[in-house]
Amino acid sequence: MDTKVKSACETCAHFNADGLKKMGIHTDNVDFVVALAGNPNTGKSTVFNSLTGLRQHTGNWPGKTVTRAEGGFEYNKQKYKLVDLPGTYSLLSTSEDEAAARDFILFGKPDVTVIVADANRLERNLNLVLQILEITDKAVLCLNLMDEAKRNHIIIDERTLARDLGIPVVATSARFSQGIPELIHTISEIANGNIICKPHRIKNVPSNIENAVKTLTAEIEKEFPNIPNSRWIAFRLLEGDTEIIKALKSGELV
Amino acid sequence: MKYNPTYALILFFIISGVLYVLFRPAKGWFWIIKNNFKSNEKIVTEDILKQLYHFENSGNKVDTKTLLQVLDFNNNQIIEVVKKMTINDLIYFESDVLKLTNAGRDYALRIVRIHRLWERYLADKTGFSKEEWHDRAEMMEHKLNHDETNTLAAHLGNPKFDPHGDPIPTKTGKVAEVHGVELPLLPVNSIGRITHIEDEPEIIYKQILAENIHMGSLIRVVENNATRIVFLSEGEEFRLAPIVAANLTVAPIEKEIIIEDNIARLSSLKEDETAIITGISKESRGESRRRLLDLGFVKGATIKIDLINPLGEPNAYLIKGTSIALRKDQAAKILIKKD
Amino acid sequence: MANKNIDHILELSNELRWQIGDEFHDNLTEGIYADAAQIVSDTVQVDESKKRFRLDRQIDKIVTSKVFGFPIMFLILATVLWLTIIGANYPSSLLAQLLLDTFHPILKTGVAAINMPWWLSGFLIDGVYLAVAWVIAVMLPPMAIFFPMFTLLEDFGYLPRVAFNLDNLFKKSGAHGKQALTMTMGFGCNAAGVVATRIIDSPRERLIAIITNNFSLCNGRWPTQILIATIFIGAVVPSTFSSLASLLAVIVIAVLGMAFMFGTSWALSKTLLKGQVSTFNLELPPYRPPRFWKTIYTSLIDRTMIVLWRAIVFAAPAGAVIWLISNIYIGNESIAAWAIDSMNGFGFLLGLNGVILLAYIVAIPANEIVIPTILMLTVLVTGIDGGAGAGVMFELDSVNATGDILKAGGWTLLTAINLMLFSLLHNPCSTTIYTIYKETKSVKWTVFASIMPVILGFIVTFLVAQIWRIVF
Ligand SMILES: Nc1nc2c(ncn2[C@@H]2O[C@H](COP(=O)(O)OP(=O)(O)OP(=O)(O)O)[C@@H](O)[C@H]2O)c(=O)[nH]1
Ligand SMILES: [Mg+2]
Repeated sequence: MDTKVKSACETCAHFNADGLKKMGIHTDNVDFVVALAGNPNTGKSTVFNSLTGLRQHTGNWPGKTVTRAEGGFEYNKQKYKLVDLPGTYSLLSTSEDEAAARDFILFGKPDVTVIVADANRLERNLNLVLQILEITDKAVLCLNLMDEAKRNHIIIDERTLARDLGIPVVATSARFSQGIPELIHTISEIANGNIICKPHRIKNVPSNIENAVKTLTAEIEKEFPNIPNSRWIAFRLLEGDTEIIKALKSGELV
Repeated sequence: MKYNPTYALILFFIISGVLYVLFRPAKGWFWIIKNNFKSNEKIVTEDILKQLYHFENSGNKVDTKTLLQVLDFNNNQIIEVVKKMTINDLIYFESDVLKLTNAGRDYALRIVRIHRLWERYLADKTGFSKEEWHDRAEMMEHKLNHDETNTLAAHLGNPKFDPHGDPIPTKTGKVAEVHGVELPLLPVNSIGRITHIEDEPEIIYKQILAENIHMGSLIRVVENNATRIVFLSEGEEFRLAPIVAANLTVAPIEKEIIIEDNIARLSSLKEDETAIITGISKESRGESRRRLLDLGFVKGATIKIDLINPLGEPNAYLIKGTSIALRKDQAAKILIKKD
Repeated sequence: MANKNIDHILELSNELRWQIGDEFHDNLTEGIYADAAQIVSDTVQVDESKKRFRLDRQIDKIVTSKVFGFPIMFLILATVLWLTIIGANYPSSLLAQLLLDTFHPILKTGVAAINMPWWLSGFLIDGVYLAVAWVIAVMLPPMAIFFPMFTLLEDFGYLPRVAFNLDNLFKKSGAHGKQALTMTMGFGCNAAGVVATRIIDSPRERLIAIITNNFSLCNGRWPTQILIATIFIGAVVPSTFSSLASLLAVIVIAVLGMAFMFGTSWALSKTLLKGQVSTFNLELPPYRPPRFWKTIYTSLIDRTMIVLWRAIVFAAPAGAVIWLISNIYIGNESIAAWAIDSMNGFGFLLGLNGVILLAYIVAIPANEIVIPTILMLTVLVTGIDGGAGAGVMFELDSVNATGDILKAGGWTLLTAINLMLFSLLHNPCSTTIYTIYKETKSVKWTVFASIMPVILGFIVTFLVAQIWRIVF
């Protein structure tokens, strides 16, 4: 089996294999919090397991993980807490089952958000990716299930993708632990501010909505000068999201 | 008594029978008796206020006799309550005619607000069928207090209209205007959006519902004469008698909008056919509409059947590279154009 | 931080919302997808020339076909159960020998050597130790076989197809198709099944799924079914068919559980949980070859840990309680004997007996210990010598020995059938009850979900008992 082939980075100069320690469930005194978000059944829990050494249940059906799980790893003497979230199709809905993930991405303020996407279904996965990029600018796209993509003859130009999205892209096959070292390295680079992301902002918005969003964004920024994701909040206010209204009032979002 | 399985069985069935008669849903004696106790003064008062408000809006005059006819409470009780209401300054008599005082109108507006908000809630957040909205809101309007109402409104995003297109009075009692004209007044070939569906009288409303006509749909009038009005909406042709059509309010649209003629519904797609999604019917609302959009059922997406279900439904559709199963009633709300 | 005054922002957003109209969400989502399509067209290439034969689709065509869909589901269930029944036999008796025949006497001699008072050693060794040992010997092997097989199916991607096939039935009973997934999770553990209902996004249907999850025979109950079916049902047919007959009996009970699940869902959605069926959507993932050894390894390790843990947390105190109630006397009767006597009448009406009812009360914490409790209590009341004293769970040398003891306790085929029914239809275990409370946050529904199955169990066993007695 070719699963044991060393991926390029493990031997390359950047990744410091000795600096990695899986910490299992021990997550005290962490330096950074990392969230694992993504569509259902894209391999988030598998990525989580290979980073933390835990055995979070995985299963080949959407909705296997329903509660969030935490674990830790140490890389180059810095401790990271990793949070595995239930899969979501979108952050725009108000449905109960997606609340856990939505709330953590927005209110948990992770230092880095790893967005796990299925390389075979990139277009539908980008729906969520683009939404997350409206909220946070510290994100990395983990293009998972690359082995299947290869079998399906799907070729993805990662560099162009990274440029278009404005965030680093790491191709992985989490099940075979391929690409995980690069992922860890990229996470640490973002966490330490060595990679600065310039995330894509949703462009194809009809002009009447864009104008409304602009007006509202300006008003929000007047009241909260330091808010990082005013455009997203404007989107949510236009939708009438009561959670966001509450959070704005209490100042939880700033 | 000595044990005998036959007697035990008989006894069991007698007890179950009695329990069934007492507690069966809706018609059980227990519920009937309980409901009889419930029609208390508050409910009667509020129903009177609401009736007066509606009569006032439609410019009709009401005397006690009409009131007795339209409300199905015990007549003596109504008269009793009307007396009390005049004392409390909610209503007054102008000769025979009953009128709302300002306080009474405010109160009535509050009731109407709850009723319409609750209908909005039922439409957006629950799966109750349209036929049930009204009756459930009738019950609820007596239950919510001021704060609960406002929380509900906030939760729904302070909607301006209920699912029939009737304006929801705001906290301060402001009422928005419904735009549009009655359908029979629209000339042939004009395009408009349905902004209001009158829910009374009930027979006509039920007929409209049965026709599958929805709030917010775009329509194009193709025929309009004294005997019938024919229009296209969401790929179907509807024929209504003028009196039925008069219960639909339509806001004409000036802009050039092309309403496609050969639109079908996803439920009519056959195996091996492909189609392009042209939109989701207005019939699909709230959470379920959002979910469909999130799953990629957006305008312009290509779709085909992936798997036929052994029991007839749900079928699985291949969309944006993934197989997603939808029940028939939901597939019927997705509009497509076959290739 | 102080509350911000944002009323003007809200005011503005309300106003803007009205100007945009109700198409906001549609437009935004379409916009995002348009962006996505652009990006994808820049970056993704699919080599159409190498369009391969889609194995997934071929498998799907078969497992969801009109002809084979349901038979395959049934066959898979049967195979899993059959392998569990056959495969658990040997390790079970091995463990019993080790833990009960070998270790128990050693422990006994050990404590005798250090002069432990009789009540303490009885409590610890005959109560706590035996209960735990019993659970491990009888429960662990079937679980260790059932769970990995189940996980393999799960990893392969078969479960969503089950939900796909069954959805129409769920729809007709007013429930959500994903209840099929939570139901199958319930075959492993009801508490896990209840948590899994979070994938059902409409509250009404989720509640239905929570309440009816108990009708999925959980892992704590499979072994009971298997044991009783082997002893009693297998015995009425010629011995060549006995394992087939007991397999069929267990399947019938499992399928009956599903029937009750559909029936109760239907009744609930017509009465207490009225409302229309809401929408349903289910993504069918591609099939993935399971990682065979890894799955076996992890689910074995995980399950072993959980079962051991539960055995210690629940079975141990229960074992202690059993020992106590049969050794504390009021007048000249032990509490257990007294309780059994007073419940015998009611038990008889249900075609059961006082022993079984008491066992179910003692075993509320964990279904796993029902059978050992029944055996122990039976010995207590019949006075036959099976073990080492009052309240001591004795060794299960062989299935036959167990059968002999039960028959000496007055058991008939009717008792066995009704026990199997009652094991299906009774209150959920305490862990599940607690989980239901956590998930619904409602005392009312928790109580309902706990009581309703028992009442159903009473009614069903009662009817079966009366009809049985009239017919035979
Ligand atoms: N072939 C292949 N399979 C993978 C890979 N990563 C994950 N899987 C499989 O994909 C399935 C889903 O993985 P999970 O980790 O449970 O997915 P998830 O994103 O946590 O799913 P939810 O919890 O339901 O949102 C499992 O069967 C995994 O074994 C991969 O890189 N290659
Ligand atoms: Mg997961």
